[in-house]
Amino acid sequence: MHLHKYEKIWLAFGIGCLFVFLTVIGVSAFAEGNQPPSCLTTIDPEKVDQTPPFDKPGLVKTGNNEYQLNIVVSAFAFTPNQIEIPKGAKVTINVTSKDVIHGFEVAGTNVNMMVEPGYINTLTKTFDKTGEYTILCNEYCGAGHHMMTGRIKVVD
Amino acid sequence: MAKAELQQTSPKMKEKEPPLKGTLASVFLLGFFIIFSWVSVYFLFLHRL
Repeated sequence: MHLHKYEKIWLAFGIGCLFVFLTVIGVSAFAEGNQPPSCLTTIDPEKVDQTPPFDKPGLVKTGNNEYQLNIVVSAFAFTPNQIEIPKGAKVTINVTSKDVIHGFEVAGTNVNMMVEPGYINTLTKTFDKTGEYTILCNEYCGAGHHMMTGRIKVVD
Repeated sequence: MAKAELQQTSPKMKEKEPPLKGTLASVFLLGFFIIFSWVSVYFLFLHRL
């Protein structure tokens, strides 16, 4: 098969890019230990209210400046939906859904998860700046989807 | 007649390579645009960490 010289150039470039991107993902996953927010931790979606830590949702102090934030997501609310976090706190956010697929996004940050019933999603975030953050559902979940919001206040 | 004509022109066409300079330029323009978009989103992610 005859290939034009230019075709060889852009094919090599394209395949090279593929390897660069695969390497980036590989290093991120295997060397730095990054994993998706929902990594095989399961829960019975019908017994969320009885299963710890979601039987008492909210902010829990787990160490020096370390917190756990457990939030139950259901149609059409986040429980709790008003949260105060001290500035500089390292917060491990656990969320799970009681019914359908929801989204959990803290606007303006990297906290952005798809919340599936039956799975616990976990993401760790350090809140370095004071201010207010909006939590919103970014997966269409039903008639009240647009009213599904929450608020995080980071205070001194 | 027509057949003889065809036989005459086809070897000539094979020797000439099609001009692909414009294609090369557009392929790389698109390629760099995709890489630029990827890198900017990646740096946005790193900035928000």
